[in-house]
Amino acid sequence: MKHECVTCGDVATRMRVLAVNDGESLALCVEEGERPEAVKRRLTVDTGIVGAVAPGDTLLVHAGTALTRTSMREPPA
Amino acid sequence: MKFVEEFRDAALGRALAAEILSLVEPGRTYKLMEVCGGHTHSIYRYGIDGLLPDGVELVHGPGCPVCVLPMGRVDDGIAIAHEPNVIFTCFGDMMRIPGSDGSLLEAKAEGADVRMVYSPLDALEIARRNPDREVVFFAIGFETTAPSTALTLKRAKAEGIANFSCICNHVTIVPPLRALLDSPGLEIDGFVGPGHVATVVGARPFQFIPADYSKPLVISGFEPLDVLQSIQMLLAQLASGRCEVENQYARVVPWEGNPRALQVMAEVFELRAHFEWRGLGFISQSALKLSDAYSELDAERRYGIPGVRVADPKACQCGEVLKGVIKPWECKVFGTACTPERPIGTCMVSPEGACAAYYTYGRYARGREVAV
Repeated sequence: MKHECVTCGDVATRMRVLAVNDGESLALCVEEGERPEAVKRRLTVDTGIVGAVAPGDTLLVHAGTALTRTSMREPPA
Repeated sequence: MKFVEEFRDAALGRALAAEILSLVEPGRTYKLMEVCGGHTHSIYRYGIDGLLPDGVELVHGPGCPVCVLPMGRVDDGIAIAHEPNVIFTCFGDMMRIPGSDGSLLEAKAEGADVRMVYSPLDALEIARRNPDREVVFFAIGFETTAPSTALTLKRAKAEGIANFSCICNHVTIVPPLRALLDSPGLEIDGFVGPGHVATVVGARPFQFIPADYSKPLVISGFEPLDVLQSIQMLLAQLASGRCEVENQYARVVPWEGNPRALQVMAEVFELRAHFEWRGLGFISQSALKLSDAYSELDAERRYGIPGVRVADPKACQCGEVLKGVIKPWECKVFGTACTPERPIGTCMVSPEGACAAYYTYGRYARGREVAV
């Protein structure tokens, strides 16, 4: 979502895990989306409430914290 | 991006709009409240309201934490920001919310060290790098954001970072919904429920709405087809006489929420006896404060705050907007004295605020034409 407001309880971004620091429950993530790779936002994400993650996992991230893994289902038919 | 573009498919959107039309009883009016600002933003960004039949009206709810923050709490933050040796950190939109005597951005211009962060972790990192300064994080948001603050406070405590503290303004979604439903004269037929809050709290906390108030609620995602499908599900419930909580956003929201998040929140926070909401007044047990175990990281205890209740500017009608009583463009100062560049009311600050969403995407023009 463009013009996003971090403060809003309902803005969250899908991010892909690039690297993991298991001991600290932190993961370096990059946002998914249509923007060119060079300008995609990278963020250190707290994974404390989603458990262990691995590179390639996709997470729903809000305010620097992974809220859930994304297990996307098909859109409405 | 997979599973995003599909939820913006125009043909599927038209099919859902046709289905919605078929569910509408001729001559009947349906008022549906989208609880959160993210939905308001999506509705006006994608023109979802333009796909709905005339009888279906969307009413904007109190789910933008920036919009419901009373001016007094902004003043409290500014007072701490002006304390000597303090680095005051907050999310970007927070910096522009007007207090009774300016905003945090203006405090920064006056010399206070106010810094924007994207997450509480960023604020903690500033504290690590500035051990000789006091770093305060202005925590705001619903249950979606509260786990992030809680995890950061746990880290700060575990690492013994004594120069970090937090002024907690986290709020909870259920009490204001109940307050709204108890408001006399509220005519809402159903609710588009907050998707990302529900990733944390789950669907269960919303069951009081059908049980106690006989209104359906559908937890919804934020892409255009998510919102359209949620409206279709609400209308299907109303057409068939059903009244329950349904989860349209099941690809992200587990029915039980996130138990780990709830656990860490329970450890770090406790409920305030009451908290003031802009437009809704004081609501019992509707906000969080730091628990006794984390009191040493509580900026309110560390600094003392003015804690003065400040009335909204007379011209501002954010309260009525937040209760769905008036549309943003019906406010006396909308788009004239109050704009996103120079907001008077909080609803014009955040992109998820109803006024800013209307203003940015020009949706008010249609309503004005109808009014004329």
